Amino acid sequence: MNKEEFISSGLLELYAMGITSSEETQIVEEHLKQFPELRQELDEIEKSLEKYAISNAIEPSSFVKQNIINQVFPQSVKKESQETPVVSINTNTKKPFSLFYKAIAAAVFILLIGSMILNYTYFNKYHTTQNQLAIAQQKLDEQESANQAMSHDLDVVTDKYAMPVVLNGTPHAPDALAKIFWMKNSGQVYIDPSNLPAVPAGKQYQLWGIVDGKPVSGGMIQTSKGVYQIQKMKSFGKVDAFAITLEKEGGSPTPTMDEMIVSAKM
Amino acid sequence: MAETIKYNEEELVQLLKTSDQSAFEYLYDHYSGALNGVIFKIIDDQHLAEDLLQEAFVKIWNNFSSYDPSKGRLFTWMLNITRNLTIDTVRSKGYKKQAKIQNSEIAVSHTSNNINENDKFDALGIRKQTMLLNEGQKSVIDLAYFEGFTQEEISKILGIPLGTVKTRMRSAISVLKKLLEPKN
Repeated sequence: MNKEEFISSGLLELYAMGITSSEETQIVEEHLKQFPELRQELDEIEKSLEKYAISNAIEPSSFVKQNIINQVFPQSVKKESQETPVVSINTNTKKPFSLFYKAIAAAVFILLIGSMILNYTYFNKYHTTQNQLAIAQQKLDEQESANQAMSHDLDVVTDKYAMPVVLNGTPHAPDALAKIFWMKNSGQVYIDPSNLPAVPAGKQYQLWGIVDGKPVSGGMIQTSKGVYQIQKMKSFGKVDAFAITLEKEGGSPTPTMDEMIVSAKM
Repeated sequence: MAETIKYNEEELVQLLKTSDQSAFEYLYDHYSGALNGVIFKIIDDQHLAEDLLQEAFVKIWNNFSSYDPSKGRLFTWMLNITRNLTIDTVRSKGYKKQAKIQNSEIAVSHTSNNINENDKFDALGIRKQTMLLNEGQKSVIDLAYFEGFTQEEISKILGIPLGTVKTRMRSAISVLKKLLEPKN
């Protein structure tokens, strides 16, 4: 093919568009060597197609460039990573990652807030529960001791050796009443002071046994906290009479006869 | 930024042979849109298109030593690499090849607004005049240049005689060539 024949064959256009077969490509490249002025012609075709391609351009997303730069120039990425301690291997996924981290951060934050609320709620509940438990425990303890006292009282009352002695009120306190349970086998003395009048401040009831015409102290009756329980007194092997007087706190060596509240002769 | 620098093709190729990063960025800034547009003619998926564009530029860079300026312009070489890569991907992914014959309106709406302002040609003028290509010419050029179909294939796709394909192709290119003349 001479130059004119070649130009009119249209091969140069096909070559410029990259759709020649390998044989055609070979022919074109041979002619280009043979006729350097054909290079000018080819150049014009290519330029016109190039402008056509540019006029049909679609800009890619802006991050594509950085991805490519990172891939092609890993050194520059290294330099960057030295300057800023960002893991630059992930730079090409920077956008979705930062979004991902934002989501994680948000989730963590929500969890944290939720956890704080739960903590607060549960701490309060814990406290309330703790208090309720303490109250319940206290009630239980009280019941327990009341129970024990009651069963103790019952033990005394139902003891087969217990001889009940009723101490009746004296003219000082006609409504007063006390009961003594005297164990005939052991001489132990128990007193139920529940029907004695309330003790004035600074005073205490004292039990006396009259042995051989003389008063012998049977001990102080505990009436603290207003609890009048059956309590164990001093033992008497032999006694003529029992009496309870109101004495100063801690008791007296001899009974104050004016303050005798109840008494009973055996 | 490369905006203030303007290389002619010879200088650009020389710099690229020395692995110059700013030259590579210049190359990207000037041709990524056009190459992306080519990929888009073949596939519709934007993410895949951008993946392919990335792959294409890496390939262009890695194979730059094999570019021979005596055999054609740099862009032609780049376009061939990009197009072949895209076509290979489409085939391997079992894409159904479909001839997308876009009318001028769609082509214009897809046309980039982001052409470097330092370029000495009037993008809008080119676009206007690109529309001087009639539908027949345009479809033939797009199928050949952007999608790599041979004249025989185009004849089958468009259902027109091979001779008509050849005539349209030549007339289209002569129209496009005329657009260059005042600038030269």
